[in-house]
Amino acid sequence: MSAQQEAPIVAEPRVERSRPRPVASWRDHHAWSAGASLRRLMSRPVGTLLTVAVMALALALPLTFYLLLGNVQKMGQALGQNQAVSVFMQPGQTGPAVEMMATKLRERADVASVAIKSPQQGMDELARMQGFSGALNTLDSNPLPYALEVLPKPEASADDVARLVTDLRALQGVDLVQDSGTWRQRLDALLGVGNRVVLILAALLALAVLLVVGNTVRVDIASRSEEIGVLMLIGASGAFVRRPYLYAGIWYGLFSGLLAAGMALLIEMALAEPVTRLGHVYEGKLQIGMLPLWLLGAVPLAAAVLGWLGARLVSAWQLRKAA
Amino acid sequence: MIRFDQVSKRYEGGHEALSQLSFQVAPGEMAFVTGHSGAGKSTLLKLLGLIERPSHGSISLDGQSLAKIGRGGIPKLRRRIGMVFQDHRLLMDRTVFANVELPLVIGGVAPAERGRRVRAALEKVGLLAYERQLPATLSTGEQQRVGIARAIVAKPTLLIADEPTGNLDPQLAVEIMGLFAEFQQVGTTVLVASHDLPLIKRMRKRVVVLDHGRLVADIAAEEVL
Ligand SMILES: Nc1ncnc2c1ncn2[C@@H]1O[C@H](COP(=O)(O)OP(=O)(O)O)[C@@H](O)[C@H]1O
Ligand SMILES: [Mg+2]
Repeated sequence: MSAQQEAPIVAEPRVERSRPRPVASWRDHHAWSAGASLRRLMSRPVGTLLTVAVMALALALPLTFYLLLGNVQKMGQALGQNQAVSVFMQPGQTGPAVEMMATKLRERADVASVAIKSPQQGMDELARMQGFSGALNTLDSNPLPYALEVLPKPEASADDVARLVTDLRALQGVDLVQDSGTWRQRLDALLGVGNRVVLILAALLALAVLLVVGNTVRVDIASRSEEIGVLMLIGASGAFVRRPYLYAGIWYGLFSGLLAAGMALLIEMALAEPVTRLGHVYEGKLQIGMLPLWLLGAVPLAAAVLGWLGARLVSAWQLRKAA
Repeated sequence: MIRFDQVSKRYEGGHEALSQLSFQVAPGEMAFVTGHSGAGKSTLLKLLGLIERPSHGSISLDGQSLAKIGRGGIPKLRRRIGMVFQDHRLLMDRTVFANVELPLVIGGVAPAERGRRVRAALEKVGLLAYERQLPATLSTGEQQRVGIARAIVAKPTLLIADEPTGNLDPQLAVEIMGLFAEFQQVGTTVLVASHDLPLIKRMRKRVVVLDHGRLVADIAAEEVL
């Protein structure tokens, strides 16, 4: 090692060293930190995977609830489409009388249509249902009354329908009025509660994600206090020392978000079959409600932000303690 | 240039580790700081790197008063100084290359340029062949040379070393001190703390002698016998 031969490494003019390249060096720093933290996570795959899995479960839970809620909502809407009010006439009401009543009802502003079901039609419908035909054969005469299917205008509110039902009950010759509106209202109220529950759950589990990342980063920093000390001694700024930990938080968040989105898709696939089967019962009007794509994309991003935030809070506190 | 002016340092709850210390080191000069254990050698070097602050007096580096450097300015100051430690302080989970590269990453040197400079520094200390290895696979002397490569890779104006040969056998110690002398020859100011008097005498450089925190002798290179 002759000094003359190797001289350039120390003796090069110092001006060359200080050529400012702020943007490029900022970018290099970030690339280096992101890479370094990723390699660090990969170097202990089991621990990383466990942390990511815990976070992913926390994220997948509200997603699953959201998915279920969406499907119940769709189901309610599908059922709401046959929100016909059934009016059963007293036995002994004749065809022409029922016909006249139907004509009058059709003139009402809140009524979309009125269909008449004769006792014979009712009987045929019952016969088509499994298990009934045998029983019906034993009957001598048709016990079914005339019935009207009154469909309110689609724009009619729950109150409008309630008023219509009251009016129908008061009509001469009407035996029974069956209204499906009440349970719709109850379902809607329940769904409102469910939506709120999903929001609260999401907020709580987001906090859990924050804490998991925070604690992981805290342990990581504590176990690397020596390295941090060395970095500070050779001129690293606080921001530089901290950056790999922030990236670790981002990686944890991103990976757990992707895993959670994957889990949600699997759950969706698992639900598709039974929901579709349920749909057939309701004349095929029901299809599985899916998680919107934007949400599946937003989950990893939001989780990355959460991870960054958790790492940021903890590292600020921890490194101040170390300095 | 380094300038200590009436510098005293009292650690919290302790006695004075340095007491009214005044001396200067010219740019490109190499000096040893020696004295018994507890004389204040490490403290002196720590004040230069702003690892500690003086209780009294002032220190300046290249005309800049260290007292004026706040917390935020410390990293920038340390990037101008190459530090070598007795226990080398390498990051054991990273390769030799990655260790030596760190100051360049911190200093914002472009990636391509980093590779070139790291290899030049490793070649300088004779360890180019080990760049892919982890420090643990190297001998103590080799680890110390990696530490030196890390200290000089960013071309500091000042190189300070605290007992750099403390853990080495005499043969290796001479080799390491030779390296420091080479850096001085190409223009770097070098300050080495050591209590190894026979070794210091062999180097024939200026020697600053401390005793209980006081400067008791300042021997010019030509006067070293
Ligand atoms: N962090 C500290 N806190 C209190 N006293 C210290 C500290 N560091 C060093 N000292 C004391 O300061 C004196 C000088 O120490 P030091 O500079 O390490 O000497 P040397 O390196 O010459 O052995 C010693 O008496 C030592 O005990
Ligand atoms: Mg010491």
